[in-house]
Amino acid sequence: MPELSMVQALNAALRHCLREDPRTLVFGEDVGRLGGVFRVTDGLQSEFGQARVFDTPLAESGIMGIAIGLAMAGWRPVPEIQFDGFSFPALDQVLTNLAKYRGRSRGAYDMAVALRLPSFGGIGGPEHHSESPETLYAHTAGLKVVAPSRPQDAFDLLVRAVEDPDPVVFLEPKSRYWAREEVSLTPSPAGGARVARAGEHATLVAWGGMVQRCLEVAEAAEEDGVSLEVVDLRWLAPLDEETLVASVARTGRAVVVHEAPRTAGFGAEVSARLMERCFGSLRAPVLRVTGWDVPYPAASAEHEYIPSVDRVLLAVQRVLDA
Amino acid sequence: MADLVFRLPDLAEGLEDAEVVEWRVAEGDRVALNQVIGDLQTAKATVEIPSPCAGQVLRLHAAPGDLVRVGEPLVTFAVDEAGPGVVGRVPPDRARVRRVRLRPPES
Repeated sequence: MPELSMVQALNAALRHCLREDPRTLVFGEDVGRLGGVFRVTDGLQSEFGQARVFDTPLAESGIMGIAIGLAMAGWRPVPEIQFDGFSFPALDQVLTNLAKYRGRSRGAYDMAVALRLPSFGGIGGPEHHSESPETLYAHTAGLKVVAPSRPQDAFDLLVRAVEDPDPVVFLEPKSRYWAREEVSLTPSPAGGARVARAGEHATLVAWGGMVQRCLEVAEAAEEDGVSLEVVDLRWLAPLDEETLVASVARTGRAVVVHEAPRTAGFGAEVSARLMERCFGSLRAPVLRVTGWDVPYPAASAEHEYIPSVDRVLLAVQRVLDA
Repeated sequence: MADLVFRLPDLAEGLEDAEVVEWRVAEGDRVALNQVIGDLQTAKATVEIPSPCAGQVLRLHAAPGDLVRVGEPLVTFAVDEAGPGVVGRVPPDRARVRRVRLRPPES
């Protein structure tokens, strides 16, 4: 198996989809001639031509409108919005049409759009380049939302997102773009959540870039004789409650970690589900370690904003002591 | 005289390494501050590298085609004084930082 970065794994997934299904189209700002600002679409235009891999104007609402129209006509569009913060001008199309067309047409139209969205912080980006918009999309019924944490999942989940007849918001963790691992390029049906590390004393729950942070925390905890399980949710919508509940019912303690601000963040949803399903086995309140309730800070301060190993460890101590 | 080790600075945008495209100086050459000493290619761009100091090139730590990770030595210079130069921001330690220690649960 080749060792690939997440960027290369995503590139391989797009190449696979373009090759396997002539209905697949890839477009967005700078994805064609340039090959994407993160190189995710590198070489695709020269291989598949300008009719299937093409540049758009800098107009996110237009990009989404094009995707929706193409999906209604039976295509499988894979639009890229260049950065999380630029997805907001397209929200009207996403909330009003993308999420609703399958239901509105009583299934007559597929809405097979995989919206690729480089997301989250941790790369020293300027304003609008480090947002965590997952809650907005997970709260919008009709959308599926997924965030890979490693190259293999990036490949498998993107192939699956492109093939899905429902619209999928595909959140790519920029901080993990250059992480490498051996990747099987035979698509496997990547399921719901996965246990990224087995443990017994408490469960850490994360998605996207924070999975790696939780694995670092688990390694640190092991030095102190504390065994932490790490659950990588992967899909936020639909949420794989069973994997989550099975883990926390066993450990009795959970800490949810995300970069987005705390208030009404997706961690609140995870916490509520655990309360509903695991109340009898919880030995401590479910805690959240998150970004602060402030607009995303300047790059020089982002290490104070993104949950650190120490901040997660402090929460772990609190659930262990409860 | 003192040695100054120029390490590959933080490249931003999460980039972790860069490839040496070519050196424009050789070991033993004298260089001026900001003189272009070589070209590096990241996943996103090829950039000219200005010398962070005036001095003599003692050692080029990588050959064209080599991949250098952020924080690894790129060039060692002999400089007149080991004063602070403009050498970019090198992450002091990529290993995780922790101060909190855990007490394991009793049961």
